[in-house]
Amino acid sequence: MNFSVHTPMLQRLRCLLAALLLTLAPGAVPQNSDLEVEVIVSPSLAEVTLDRSLLRAVFTMRVREWPDGTPIRVFVLPDDNPLSDQFYREQLGMYSYVLRRAWDRMVFTGTGFAPTVVRSEAEMIERVRSTPGAIGFVRKRAASSQNRPAPPRWKIVTITADGHG
Amino acid sequence: MRLAAALAAICCSGSAGAVDYQIHGYAAQGFVLSSHNDFFGDSTDGSFDYYEAGINAAVRIQPNLSFAIQAAVRDAGISDDGSVRLDYAVADYRVLSETNVQAGLRFGKVKNALGFYNETRDVVFTRPSILLPSVYSDNQNQRTLIFTSPGAQAYGATVLGQHELSFTGTFNAERDVRKNDERLLVELTVPFDLRVGDSWNLQVMDSIDGGRWQFAYSHFGGQFRMSTEIDLSGRFDVDLNVFSARFNAERVTLTAEYVLIDNDNRLTYLGAPFLRQRVAADSGYLQVEYRLGSNWAVMSRLDSFYRDRHDRSGHAFAAANPGIDRRTQFSHDFTVGIHWRPDQHWGFWAEHHWINGTAILQALENPPPLRHQRWSMLMLMAGYKF
Repeated sequence: MNFSVHTPMLQRLRCLLAALLLTLAPGAVPQNSDLEVEVIVSPSLAEVTLDRSLLRAVFTMRVREWPDGTPIRVFVLPDDNPLSDQFYREQLGMYSYVLRRAWDRMVFTGTGFAPTVVRSEAEMIERVRSTPGAIGFVRKRAASSQNRPAPPRWKIVTITADGHG
Repeated sequence: MRLAAALAAICCSGSAGAVDYQIHGYAAQGFVLSSHNDFFGDSTDGSFDYYEAGINAAVRIQPNLSFAIQAAVRDAGISDDGSVRLDYAVADYRVLSETNVQAGLRFGKVKNALGFYNETRDVVFTRPSILLPSVYSDNQNQRTLIFTSPGAQAYGATVLGQHELSFTGTFNAERDVRKNDERLLVELTVPFDLRVGDSWNLQVMDSIDGGRWQFAYSHFGGQFRMSTEIDLSGRFDVDLNVFSARFNAERVTLTAEYVLIDNDNRLTYLGAPFLRQRVAADSGYLQVEYRLGSNWAVMSRLDSFYRDRHDRSGHAFAAANPGIDRRTQFSHDFTVGIHWRPDQHWGFWAEHHWINGTAILQALENPPPLRHQRWSMLMLMAGYKF
């Protein structure tokens, strides 16, 4: 796991907004990559690099804080959204019903928090953008995939749009 | 329905400054229609005397410190009375929280991990079927003993390659048994009081390849202590060992669990040993669940329970206890069920049980003489959670 935070907050926020505007621009969304998923994180975590084991630990709610101490806040789409299924299967190597079982167990035993379920990708982007320590996933978009590092076995994640990525 | 869903979506989680909180709940109403014998109420005429509901809140003060509380009600014929109870109230302190290793401590009224389903046994959304298999004694008497109790709990998990190993160990303090449960546990003509002595509980689990395979061993060791006003006292030691295995594929889940229950019962009268009885009961099941899509699933299960594993037919028991039918000593239950989850909040279940033997019946609901060895039962349930 690699982790570094070295960009001032405001600058990162601007980067994020720029990236979001780009991705939301008409025509920027390729029609043929409907179910390619990417992870998005809060602007305060712009430089985080996630590998599969950290992602699994985050989405199974086993870890509660990022290495810098920020509380982790997980956002997901409804279980029956095809994007959820795709994400859990491809990126976490898990089935959505296995995850739901683990979350329900935590919620109804007082041993943990369940992820917050959002109703749409637009809400996902908004909540992740505005919540410190947030992580979620959305459909992959061409504009945000530029200039990103390509770690082994793993398509990332970061919403950085400039040279810091 | 939409309004309720919208409200739930709004109020179930949030953060105020650095403090995160969540509020969740569940409610489900069941219906039981059985032939010959009664189960969860007067079910031969159709019983609605079966429901469960709960609401909980959790607050995270900082990433390593959280508090959670749940109030619950459950009614299940004579085996549960629908009174409001504190289900859990727990403080959780996380000592270690890294990607591949986590460990922590919990204090308060905590849930006991036993098998795959014990901790959330009253939430139908977490069960494979309306009625849990007999490993969990849903209509029996040991839920008081093992379900939830005041105590301290240590937990931990570590990732080793494809294996996620987790551990939960609980020490439960001595506690009183509710009057309503006492009459189910001990038949005695004089007034008595029943307490559960100090007990402990342990579970180790190996979850392989993102939960594709799961194996667990759980142990519970505890005792009931009975006192009366006539110098008759009793001590009933109970040891449970549960072995669990589950295979989770995309559409199919296969589950098998086996429990071995050792009972060591001692009665003392005027300070001298009066009765000593040792019995080993056991129970096991094989279950298959098949998901037809994201909303529909079907299940089937073969489930057996024996009050004395050395006398599975009950002949020896009947010979030693004239007037009591041998068929009270075992139950074989073949179940098929279907389950519909139209959205994340609602769930509807239906299942049919074909049962041979009456060991899973409550004697108070089915006074002797035994009515029928072979009987069947239709169960329906509708539930909402947020």
